[in-house]
Amino acid sequence: MLPRLATSLLVQQLRTMIRIRRFEEALIRLAGEHDVGHFHVYIGQETTGVPALALLEEGDVSYTTHRNHGHLIARGVDPARMLAEILGKSTGTNKGKGGTLHLASTEHGFPTTSSSVGGPLPIAVGSGYALKERGLDRVSVCLFGDGALEEGAWHEAINIAAVWNLPVVFLCENNSLEALGQKANEYPSSTLAAQRLTDLVRPFKVDASAVDGSDVAAVHREMRRAVRRARSGKGPSFIETWTVRWPGSRPIWPQLVTGETDLAFGWDAARIPDAHADWFGRQDGLLRFLRELLAEQRITREEVLDIDRAARAEMAAAVRFALDSPYPAPEEALEDVFA
Amino acid sequence: MTTVASPETASAGDLVDLLERMWAIRAFEEKVSELYARGRIKGLLHLGIGQEGVAVGAAGQLRTDDLVFAGHRAHAHALAKGADPERLLAELAGRTTGYCAGKGGSMHISAPDVGFVTATGVVAGNIPLALGAAFAAVLRERDTVAVAFFGDGAGQTGAFHESLNIASLWNLPLLLVCENNGYAEFTPLSAHTKVERIGEYARTYGIPTATVDGNDVLAVGSAVAEGVLRARAGGGPTFVEALTYRLRGHYEGDPAKYRELAELAEWKAKDPILRFTAVLVERGALDPDGTRAAEIEREARDRVARASEGALAAPIPGPDDLLRHVYAGAPG
Amino acid sequence: MIDAIRGALDDALAADPAVCVLGEDVSVGGPFGATKDLVERYGEGRIRNTPISEGTVVGLAVGAALAGLRPVVEVMFVDFITLAMDQLVNHAAKLHYMSGGQLRVPLTIRVQGGAVGAMGAHHSQSLEAWFLHVPGLKVVAPSTPADARGLLLAAIRDDDPVVYLEHRGLYWNRGEVDGAAETRLGQAAIRRAGADVTIVAWSRMVATALEAAATLAGEGVEAEVIDARSLVPLDLETIVGSARRTGRLVVVHEAVERGGVGAEIAAAMSAALPGALQAPVGRVGAPFAPVPASAELEALYVPSVERIVEAVRRTVGTATAPVA
Repeated sequence: MLPRLATSLLVQQLRTMIRIRRFEEALIRLAGEHDVGHFHVYIGQETTGVPALALLEEGDVSYTTHRNHGHLIARGVDPARMLAEILGKSTGTNKGKGGTLHLASTEHGFPTTSSSVGGPLPIAVGSGYALKERGLDRVSVCLFGDGALEEGAWHEAINIAAVWNLPVVFLCENNSLEALGQKANEYPSSTLAAQRLTDLVRPFKVDASAVDGSDVAAVHREMRRAVRRARSGKGPSFIETWTVRWPGSRPIWPQLVTGETDLAFGWDAARIPDAHADWFGRQDGLLRFLRELLAEQRITREEVLDIDRAARAEMAAAVRFALDSPYPAPEEALEDVFA
Repeated sequence: MTTVASPETASAGDLVDLLERMWAIRAFEEKVSELYARGRIKGLLHLGIGQEGVAVGAAGQLRTDDLVFAGHRAHAHALAKGADPERLLAELAGRTTGYCAGKGGSMHISAPDVGFVTATGVVAGNIPLALGAAFAAVLRERDTVAVAFFGDGAGQTGAFHESLNIASLWNLPLLLVCENNGYAEFTPLSAHTKVERIGEYARTYGIPTATVDGNDVLAVGSAVAEGVLRARAGGGPTFVEALTYRLRGHYEGDPAKYRELAELAEWKAKDPILRFTAVLVERGALDPDGTRAAEIEREARDRVARASEGALAAPIPGPDDLLRHVYAGAPG
Repeated sequence: MIDAIRGALDDALAADPAVCVLGEDVSVGGPFGATKDLVERYGEGRIRNTPISEGTVVGLAVGAALAGLRPVVEVMFVDFITLAMDQLVNHAAKLHYMSGGQLRVPLTIRVQGGAVGAMGAHHSQSLEAWFLHVPGLKVVAPSTPADARGLLLAAIRDDDPVVYLEHRGLYWNRGEVDGAAETRLGQAAIRRAGADVTIVAWSRMVATALEAAATLAGEGVEAEVIDARSLVPLDLETIVGSARRTGRLVVVHEAVERGGVGAEIAAAMSAALPGALQAPVGRVGAPFAPVPASAELEALYVPSVERIVEAVRRTVGTATAPVA
């Protein structure tokens, strides 16, 4: 099932997802030859970030964590400047000072990325407070993973958002499904004493829902409700999305374990290699969305391939831009310590 | 300190003993208040007048080797666990004979010989400490229980949340006793959180939770007894929320203008000592004309007066004491 | 060095049942392998994986220490010690004092830090000055595999809380390890003898200082390089003794220069050797800025051989560039 949106908007979302996918694949190849620090890719989670962030408008702010590339691209940040930043070049979004873990673009509504788990939560709540105090009907969205719920900062942040009725959306991307982990007690996780993550939200009396993160319609529906609630002064919401972690994200450093995504897998199942039948056959949300669009004839195979060609070209150009860009001059190291 | 049997089977002697312990605390706190007003004790004091039922009811179910960790309002818990009032008063008065040689003061009392490990001035700071003691008990294969006393204000801290999570995940022998007196310093709980009961958080983590009238010393004892049994049997943590009220300000000197006088009056009528005295009379453990009750009060005040004399006569630490005990081993 | 650390943990766990290891992912070896396979030998009870709850985990370790264990907590990056500062500073460091000597906190906190791999501002700091400034904490920083083992064994044995600072840039360095020895806290090591200037460094900077010494030897300046090894307690005796002989002192640390441990050593020198030094104490540290992510900038940020050589030249009067 597809969200009830115009075809052009749906196609735009697919385009963004494909661009994210090609960006991350290009980055993994690049990391084989260049020092990019410890990075994390969004492959397999595009169907969450893209439809969710598509609902944000100018003036809405969003915060994310170390798995941030997809989020920034979804809100329109230039991949070339992102890659430059990841390589530490002066043309990067943060002038080479932040790197992959701290990518930021205020003009696109991403004031900062924090790499301490749970770190962005209090900040996002603070933005929500400011937006409310200034009487704006804007929203503050915090994107984080299931790990953040282990941090005390989460508890303090959602409590305040609830008591002060702030326009904050807590979007928790749980990508630990089917992850090899240990259990503790009778809990599915060895690090959180809860049967369901949404149980943790209950005492705070915050609206909470949980959906399949590879179901674009479901993500869209929940996020739309949450954003409306926030804008109309009804306070915070919590959305949990489940996705299976991409096999390439399991090793400490991302690897193209499943190879590059062949979009034709979306219409020609015979092409899918046996080794990755599960991933490409049913777990990869991007392909699922693609199949749904094809099935409802909202897009043709040719259009998909066109989009892909353009995306690949865009990312190749981004790589060239990043590689060709200069490193910051030594003096720049001391700039921007203070305003 | 022997544990008290369940309310049903408790003897008259046991019950009177509970009343005496509550009076010991009440007399102590009121003496401290008086000495503070007269400038004989300095510092920042948080008194537990009106909340004696919780400390006494809970401690009555613990062994000496069960370890207690409390917060800033900890005199009652230290005394209930068996701390000597003179050494405690000496500590509050900053004397060398105090439990902490005058180094700790009201918020950092430590009486490990009776199993009161430490108080702390950081709200909820004691909860991870108790968690660790429970963890140690498991690793050392002891059947001791660790207990954390804290207020409703602690329920909003990250440390509280993290501790509940870990206590549940690791199935630790931890008793979490929340003295919900409705106020976190000067602010009512309702302004701090949407939960009505702090215990709701504990339920979220699958921790067995009981809510009791904190001013009913027997009810507190029952709930804690159940938690202690569960912990010793390897059944993991328990959360006891004791609803109570502090009859004084947050700290000594706090005019507490943020409270309605009507509310104060309502809770004064539910004073744990008054109520329990009535219960004992009803049960025939005390005579109805109040002679024995008055005696108990007087004896408590006399003991405290003597402790106070001894404490205030003790020496004041000197410059050499300043640098002692920074390190346990060779200095840094 | 990482093997030496693991070996020391293994030996400590074997020797004393009170020793336990807590931290994120420790039961699967941790991100650098420091605790690899320990869970197979000592079980999941003693090698405890924790959630991402640094504050409570350090507090838990303090409580466990109060109740008779000797915990070794791993905080994955020193940058995240910030989450545990309350428990570390307000409890671990102060309980012995506040209790008038009744309580002991025999806790070891292993953290790793340093700017390696262009990881950016939250994964690259050196924060020893924070810990030095808290009475009640002890602080050590090994530069060799032998000292990694020796200092860790000593830290675990110590009855006070010890912050054990690792540098991931040193993890894969190889060196001789004496299978038995503990390295006593508070004892520096003279890595290179010299008569003209004393250079004090620790952790990764020791190697950089030794390289600078080699360069300086070519200019006829013989530097004595002291590896502090232990910052609290600090072996001032060795440092003062050396500076008294050479008459010149330069302190090198990867941490930000301003307000760093070098400032403390410089001030202590002024007090200990009034008039005996031929030049003001030199300090070489990182500039006053967060660690930049860009690899090129990071390389400029970390104190270099050249900067140390220049600092020494300033003390002997042969500096080629004006002081910045």
